Amino acid sequence: MQKLAFLNDQALPIVEGETILEFCRRHKTHIPTLCDDTRLDAFGSCRVCSVDVALSKDGPAKVVASCHTPIGENMFIYSDSDRVQRLRRNIVELVLSDHPPDCLTCESNGNCELQDVAGETGVRQIRYTGGKNHIDQPKDISHPYMRMDLSKCINCYRCVRACDEIQGEMVLSVGGRGFDSKIIAGADVSFNESDCVSCGACAHTCPTAAISDKFQSKSIQATDTVRTICSYCGVGCNLDVAVKNNKILSIRASEEAEVNQGHTCLKGRYAWRFYDHPDRLDTPMIRKDGELQPVSWDEAYTYLAERLTSIKNQHGAHAIAGISSSRCTNEENYLMQKMIRVALGTNNIDCCARVCHSPTAYGMQHAFGTGAATNSIKDIKHTELILLIGANPTAAHPVTGAKIKQKVMKGTPLIVIDPVVTELARYANWHLQLRPGTNVAVLNMMARFIIEADLVDQTFIDTRCEAWDEYKAAILALDIDQLAEVSGLDSELVKGAAIAYASANKAMSFHGLGVTEHSQGSRAVMSIADLAMMTGHIGREGVGVNPLRGQNNVQGAADMGCQPHQGAGYKPVNIAENQQFYEQKYGQPMPFDIGLKIPQMFNAALAGDLKAMWIMGEDVAHTDPNHDHVVSSLGNLDLLVVQEIFLSETAKLADVVLPGTSFLEKTGTFTNGERRIQQVNAAVAPRPGCKTDGQILIDMMNHLGLDLPDFDIDTVLTEIADVVPFFAGVKWHELGENGKQWPVLPDGSDTQMLHIDGFKRGKGKFHFFEYEQSNEISTHQHNFPYILTTGRDLVHYNAGTMTRRTANEQILTEDILLVSAFDAKNKGVEQNATVRLFSDRGEINLTAQISDKVRPGVLYTTFHFPELMINRVTSDEADSETLCPEYKIVSVDFEAAV
Amino acid sequence: MSKNLSHLAYRQGTGNSLFEQLVDNPAAKTDQTRQALAKEHLVGQSTVKGTASFYDFLEGNNADKKAYVCNGSACLNALTQRNVHQQLEKHFDAKDIGHITCLGRCNRNSSFRVDGVNYSGEDIDRLDEILGQKPAQQLESIYVDTLSDNAILTTPVSDVDTYYQLFNALVKQDDPETVLQQISDSGLRGRGGAGFPTGFKWLTCLQAKGDDKYIVCNADEGDPGAFSDRYLLEQNPHTVLFGMLVAGWLIGAKEGILYIRDEYPEAITQCAQAINQLPSTLMQQPRQGQDWQFSFKIIKGAGAYICGEETALLRSIEGQRPVVSVRPPFPAQSGLYNRPTALNNVETFASIHWILNHGPDAFKAIGRGRSTGTKLLSLDSFFNKPGIYEVDMGTPLADVISRAGGFSKPVKALHIGGPLGGLVPLSQVDQLTLDFESFDQAGFLLGHAGIIGVAESMPMIEYLHHLFDFTATESCGKCFPCRIGATRGKEMMQLAINDEKKLDPELLDDLLETMKLGSLCALGGGIPLPVENALKWFGDELKPFFKEDYRHAKQVNFKEIR
Repeated sequence: MQKLAFLNDQALPIVEGETILEFCRRHKTHIPTLCDDTRLDAFGSCRVCSVDVALSKDGPAKVVASCHTPIGENMFIYSDSDRVQRLRRNIVELVLSDHPPDCLTCESNGNCELQDVAGETGVRQIRYTGGKNHIDQPKDISHPYMRMDLSKCINCYRCVRACDEIQGEMVLSVGGRGFDSKIIAGADVSFNESDCVSCGACAHTCPTAAISDKFQSKSIQATDTVRTICSYCGVGCNLDVAVKNNKILSIRASEEAEVNQGHTCLKGRYAWRFYDHPDRLDTPMIRKDGELQPVSWDEAYTYLAERLTSIKNQHGAHAIAGISSSRCTNEENYLMQKMIRVALGTNNIDCCARVCHSPTAYGMQHAFGTGAATNSIKDIKHTELILLIGANPTAAHPVTGAKIKQKVMKGTPLIVIDPVVTELARYANWHLQLRPGTNVAVLNMMARFIIEADLVDQTFIDTRCEAWDEYKAAILALDIDQLAEVSGLDSELVKGAAIAYASANKAMSFHGLGVTEHSQGSRAVMSIADLAMMTGHIGREGVGVNPLRGQNNVQGAADMGCQPHQGAGYKPVNIAENQQFYEQKYGQPMPFDIGLKIPQMFNAALAGDLKAMWIMGEDVAHTDPNHDHVVSSLGNLDLLVVQEIFLSETAKLADVVLPGTSFLEKTGTFTNGERRIQQVNAAVAPRPGCKTDGQILIDMMNHLGLDLPDFDIDTVLTEIADVVPFFAGVKWHELGENGKQWPVLPDGSDTQMLHIDGFKRGKGKFHFFEYEQSNEISTHQHNFPYILTTGRDLVHYNAGTMTRRTANEQILTEDILLVSAFDAKNKGVEQNATVRLFSDRGEINLTAQISDKVRPGVLYTTFHFPELMINRVTSDEADSETLCPEYKIVSVDFEAAV
Repeated sequence: MSKNLSHLAYRQGTGNSLFEQLVDNPAAKTDQTRQALAKEHLVGQSTVKGTASFYDFLEGNNADKKAYVCNGSACLNALTQRNVHQQLEKHFDAKDIGHITCLGRCNRNSSFRVDGVNYSGEDIDRLDEILGQKPAQQLESIYVDTLSDNAILTTPVSDVDTYYQLFNALVKQDDPETVLQQISDSGLRGRGGAGFPTGFKWLTCLQAKGDDKYIVCNADEGDPGAFSDRYLLEQNPHTVLFGMLVAGWLIGAKEGILYIRDEYPEAITQCAQAINQLPSTLMQQPRQGQDWQFSFKIIKGAGAYICGEETALLRSIEGQRPVVSVRPPFPAQSGLYNRPTALNNVETFASIHWILNHGPDAFKAIGRGRSTGTKLLSLDSFFNKPGIYEVDMGTPLADVISRAGGFSKPVKALHIGGPLGGLVPLSQVDQLTLDFESFDQAGFLLGHAGIIGVAESMPMIEYLHHLFDFTATESCGKCFPCRIGATRGKEMMQLAINDEKKLDPELLDDLLETMKLGSLCALGGGIPLPVENALKWFGDELKPFFKEDYRHAKQVNFKEIR
């Protein structure tokens, strides 16, 4: 029997566990409120949502706050009784007795919850006059983005709760008590002096203009709001872009978005002003007389067609290569690989996945059959243990990082395997602070302890997996003490973590570039997969192996075939059947031989075998390791084409520069780290002089002899759906606001979880790998005894091309070298001193900070400031399987700079 | 308030309490130490600041004073505090003298604190002598009288070992549910003021899911005028510890925490001594086939009346700002550290030994109706024999007044049940018996049963200002009606007293209704009761302060709401 309650005497079904407020809302009855935000726990401060409740039709009624009172069967709710209306009006009158009367000039005018509630409760006068108030509170405009004007604060605590319950930062609280209590940042310092991470959750939830942002994102001035997808990390936050007169006014996180529920980070919300930065390229350029000189699009295309054809004729198609961009849409990546393969005839196409998650794709394909996250981010809600390896998501994937942090703060155990004390490591139950480069050793130790404790899921192994016996025998033959020594860990700590992981009913692993960017990167990924399989942590809700994809569309770039060995949809190119498949789809001959990976391209260029490169949206001269080597390689090309929005380090070296567009100016799709294909919608027209990257590629292909229609999202996506099997059911107009997670079946249904009943490859395969020390260490540790490892900071994004053209640059101004107190003392390095950091390859100077985040012998820095050229010191060691560079360990030494 | 902060505090446990650090560690006033504390406890610097800035004795104008003068209602009515202040000013700079509400010396008045030691009565006259000595606690001798045949709460525990034999006997039977049934059958209701059935609360806690459960004793007796808990904690602490121990064993809790207000230093000392007297074997017992271990912990408050509200008290232990949490969940389901917690008043725990010793029927036989057992009353110096009185529930109020030798000074009303209790005019005394129902029906509140006299000479408007001032000062500031309403009420009274603006009856009505119906807890929700009592019974005296002839007759009319 459906349980009922009465809402204004009408019998309506109730849902177990819902509050009266939720019950009323579900039945389309509006209740005014000021302190409620559906994303936050019920708080009950404003009391405006009060309703009358009786237990029988004419029984005595009681006033309760609907937001935190559960609905009960046969309750009689009166949502607008006279008494309740009077109560609401009187409460709002009290609030207004301490609020400035400047609605008409307030930035929230027309979009203010207090204004709305005052309107609907019918307050007509404020009878309390001349009392204590906060109207003269000074404004805090210290921060580059955040604004605080406590004269407008109604003390609903929503900002404090958002900072706590959404971001998990606890930068905001309330100071004092009673009438004098007020919102404080940090230890009652300014926003700028506080530890605020500028996520904007407080401004987003503030019902008035007490906390807002520099862009006045609550203003209703915009004429249009465009929903699109953030182009920073792989979380895929949905953004609402406010636009007027083809200009962006502000960005807010989309409230109803499944990915981010109204939350995002300072990059998504605030770091967008790069799009109209004066540095934007706005004309094609060709290098003439040593200088890049503006030319028309037609001249550029004609020139390129001629040069490319000539190089192809003279040296063969394999003398040409392309690097695509994870920053671009699926459609653009698809077109890029199509241009390289179909129009130019070579498989020399790669993308920046090479330098980040190619080992993940490789390793997971070998273990499971699919190189993508097995589960969805929402599974974090259901998991009972989190294993985080080589990832710093609160900095690099902030919204996912915040979700993990929330889960962990509420008691879910966390294992962190990371050489650095990351933000999440502080909260970890087990922090395995290993020596950089020893992931495989530690993962093998964990496997050993799990097997020894007899915590393997034998049924899962027997029915779903293969190669177990060999794997198990190899693991059991390991010398644990030796592994403990190389990893620098106490084996009891590793054992505790291993047992916790295996014993948890549901354990979910996440990993990042701290796993992949190693010489044993692919092997470590397969070792993670081993742990998941042996414990049965795969194919269910709240488990799985989940790479945290670093860039907005790195998943998509690989899916679309921007890899030298696999075409769109991951079909290996060097199989005749696949070649025929692609030829049939494209109506053109297809190259057969596996092409060059990015590092091989540079080597080939230096050797003179590669003559032309087309690089779209990728600053390899800055971001790829061993800078000097990359620059010499590019310099050795006959033709370097760079499709970019700024004159990047790479573009400066180009022979032809083509001005592309940012995500804010284009339409297409991005695929986030949980395989979710989402709609990117242009908020503004391309900057004058620029073209969307898809159109540039189509124009070029047409100049190279193809006959393609102008870029149209529907057309290109339809073609992709025809070529890429797991896109089969993807249609632009059916993606909806929250997109679809691939595989999307022909009927349009999507997939939140992979490998439920069987693995893509049939059986899951165990792989054993012995830990091997990186050549970098073996070769150089004698002369360069310290290990440098690198990572991202929250504030900037990779090379800083975008973020450093926004006010983020005021928040973080340089890359800092973290040094342990022990090492600093040994080297006589003082806090904030400049140090010379040097490796076998080169040297740089940077500022050192003494930190307990790294152990003695380990140094850490970020890589957001091109002028520093951190890649002068990095090596060209790479993952043995995929050639993903080993950014994460570099043998270095350092000293105080003179 | 914050589930995250509760969980994070759980990680540290009471063994590494952020709040205790802030209270006890003088270095915790520095930014540097606070930063380190925030880092260690995985909370924000704002969390630490937010917490510290809430308490009178940690931050703000009233922290770190050399001397404090009690400004509770009893001392106010006794008109002793001006002299106390003047005497103290002879030795201290005025800026070094703070205020404190209240020291619970309502039976003696002239209460003040110097160097963390409380004084009252004649002490102010020997201030030179006091200041010349090393500060030392002195256990006050409190006049205690029992009107009941059963001195349940006022019989001293003479031999500790013998007293706890009862617990060993219970444990031997190893049947927690039967013992719990006895508590339920006794009809014992919470003595903190709300009168919630104790057995039911404990049953809820027993049945709540979770391995870690807690027993918390609310010894934050903040009501000015009440000192019965102070009496029990200082003079009979084992009765309280016994009740907590039994509750811990019944429920399977691992720790019992006494949250004792800073204003009661002697109580803290006495309880700590009593805990030390307990043999460790007492707290390691079998329970349903498993080992059960229990420990006691005392947490000292830092000057915030709202910590007497149960959820605020729990947040205080957790090192959060002690603002009131929404219910449900109730503490018995999700309390300290988000774990099931049986939280009871001092006097409730103190009743347990007698119930289990004499049986639930014997307890139930005492009292009147649903109010069973005995109750402690705190009588202030307006009675000829001020002190603690134990009475059977249902005893006529008039009997107590008579037993206390009548009034020592002219009074016009009794303020019973704390600042949020009712103002009982003398004309109504004969109607009242000391039980929850009698007070409720007559439009008053038994509460925690502190009884203070409102002096004949006390202008009622001043007293109402005092009550609003108290509420405004002590409001946690979370819910809008209390945070803003108490201050507006205080301002209205002040303007009326100053003759700057007469009271607007409609506005006052609206304010009282808003606070009563809208407030989150009993502080904002409770203040309208004494104000309405005053309007009803002292209308003539208050009439000149209103802008028109005001009859306060508007009662909430349930029919009206349809």
